[in-house]
Amino acid sequence: MIPGYVPLRLAEGGPERRAIEAGQIDAVIDYASSNVILLPAARRALREAANRASAASREAAHEASIANRLLAALPHADYQRLLAGLEPLKLKLGEVLYEPGVPIRYVYFPVDCVISLRTAVEGHPPLEVGLVGHEGMVGISLALGSDVSSVQALVQATGTAMRMEAACFHKAFQQSPPLQNEVYRYACAKLALARQTVACNCFHAVEARLARWLLMTSDRVLSKKFFLTQASLGDMLGVRRATVNEAAGALQQRKLIRYSRGNIRILDRKGLEAASCRCYTRIEGLIPSA
Amino acid sequence: MSPRQHKPKAPGAAGVTTVVVLRLYIVGGAPNSVQAIANLEAICQEYLKGGHRLEVVDVLEHPARAMAEGVLVTPSLAKLSPLPAANVVGNLSDKTKVLAALGLRRRAQ
Repeated sequence: MIPGYVPLRLAEGGPERRAIEAGQIDAVIDYASSNVILLPAARRALREAANRASAASREAAHEASIANRLLAALPHADYQRLLAGLEPLKLKLGEVLYEPGVPIRYVYFPVDCVISLRTAVEGHPPLEVGLVGHEGMVGISLALGSDVSSVQALVQATGTAMRMEAACFHKAFQQSPPLQNEVYRYACAKLALARQTVACNCFHAVEARLARWLLMTSDRVLSKKFFLTQASLGDMLGVRRATVNEAAGALQQRKLIRYSRGNIRILDRKGLEAASCRCYTRIEGLIPSA
Repeated sequence: MSPRQHKPKAPGAAGVTTVVVLRLYIVGGAPNSVQAIANLEAICQEYLKGGHRLEVVDVLEHPARAMAEGVLVTPSLAKLSPLPAANVVGNLSDKTKVLAALGLRRRAQ
């Protein structure tokens, strides 16, 4: 049986009609509408292939999101509900995710990227007040009742993150007590971390603080090698570039790191931990583990 | 995506002195098209031994070109050279018909 939409250009009893009847044709070109018309079997096969590809992409999203510790800590059912609203995306160095005072459109769960949270003080360059990697999320203020960011969120290291629309996160948060627990635990740790950072910035030497930030960045990018410009190191520490140079030079001289044009490699992790202030172990101990 | 080109490794076997130029119109991923590519590659390997040039055109990616070249259905094989030109439609499972279009004779089994 030849489908009714086969164009009239196909001659009765011609090879094209015979091939269609034998089930050997995937598509007919309809010159009247300039369209390629897929026959049902071909349409079905292509739809199934597209479904398989989409399942593979969902699987990839699943794989990526369990690399985020906060998501990985959720019970399976809660995690599955959340997964539908999550999309993996690549975040690039220097990308601004939030500006202070601007409504939050998305929350982010980093996988192998690092997000720097910065706050501005009039007359000074922005100061880094927090670092978020695979252990947490960006956008906790949504869970705490504010839909506006109080900080600037800037991508410090390129990598993947899972993104979710603010409204979708809000709904999921209301429906999932385990998600609430994890987010509150994380928010509590971030608050303690901010307090510790304030004390650290007041009392500890630049070199020790630089060692701490380098260790924290390395923990979040899951690598001993990463890229940080002098400007971003200056923002981390709230000092000028010359001071960054001096501190990085001192760590390099002690063969703890290698630093060249923003490329940092930690050569001696134990040594760098010893050179950092004790705030590093205190701060990292505050992060909930999955 | 530009149409795929299958170029010969070396001019062919004994008896094949000219390069046979073929164009196969398909819908990528559709069952008869997948089968047509496999059938044609097997025939070319057995009878032309690399003495051919095959271009595969996906009509979903290049509908205007398929229409400009007078394609009615896919899969559809066109032998462009040497002349005379010939066409075969369907999944190319009828080896005798394909060989006839290519100007070749089926070998005795």
